[in-house]
Amino acid sequence: MADADLALVLTGGACLALRLAGLLLAGRLRADHPFIAWAASVAQATLAAFVTLAVVAPSGALAALPLQARLTGLAVGIAAFFALRQRLLPALLIGLAALLLVR
Amino acid sequence: MWLGAFSGARAALAAPAIAMAATFIAFGTAVREAGLSAGWALAAAWGIYGMPGQLIVLQAVATGGGIAAAVMGAVAVNSRFLPMAVALSPWLRRRERDPLPLLAAPFVSITPWAAAMRALPGEPVPARLPWFLGFALTSWLLGGGAAVAGHMLAGGFPAPVRDALVFANPLYFALLMAADLTRPGPRRGLIAGALAAPLALLLPPAWGLLCAGLLGGSIAFLIGRARG
Repeated sequence: MADADLALVLTGGACLALRLAGLLLAGRLRADHPFIAWAASVAQATLAAFVTLAVVAPSGALAALPLQARLTGLAVGIAAFFALRQRLLPALLIGLAALLLVR
Repeated sequence: MWLGAFSGARAALAAPAIAMAATFIAFGTAVREAGLSAGWALAAAWGIYGMPGQLIVLQAVATGGGIAAAVMGAVAVNSRFLPMAVALSPWLRRRERDPLPLLAAPFVSITPWAAAMRALPGEPVPARLPWFLGFALTSWLLGGGAAVAGHMLAGGFPAPVRDALVFANPLYFALLMAADLTRPGPRRGLIAGALAAPLALLLPPAWGLLCAGLLGGSIAFLIGRARG
């Protein structure tokens, strides 16, 4: 098996294990249990950290875009999201358009 | 039951699916540029089904970073699947010791999760799991299809489209989270996570994000408890 395929299979298996572990771990806990609230908080914080890093200090193809363009795209996208009563798709397109204008 | 699944599938065929598809097209394009097959793009989209992890495996494999680095980095960045599954679990159960929610495991991912956490509390209990499976299966199929399409179309995109596709993923994640900024609990978690992000730059890349999330999330949780 090629390295790329092996890496893919191992990652997919580990991700499935994480998901199953989460579902099993929650077991019989109710939605208002503190452990559930903590887990939701960690999930949100991880996502927020991911986006922050992707915008402020990215690697790979994202790093080829100037910081100013990435910040503008994010700020305009979020502003549009709230101005348009939380409509996702137009906000995404407006944010991307702003990125391209500043790029 | 079918009604719940249908209503979930219909909810998936809206803005989130189109936005998500854009990020999977970008992924397919990047896979082709790394010299890997369309089959690999599809297997990664369906088998990992978490864009940050997909991108890290691809990057590590393409740059010859080694299997261990690829897998550890991808798993660490996708480790949010565990707390996400924990948070989702109570909304999928119809009764005590219900094994059926395990069917949802392969689909616990940002798009279905964010939609489900908002929609499921308002759905009747028997309709919740079908709703989630309908939504998740629809967006999962779309994501795979978009990855293959991106692989086929790679090279045909002008520079502005490529740049927009590359940025679509973080902006999409940011907008999914922005909807949560209006609710105090999630808002605390999001702000704490963003503030903890610099920690990730000090630690090895594979673990930085996980540590930032654990620290920020735990602090936000404790603040929430203290405020009652």
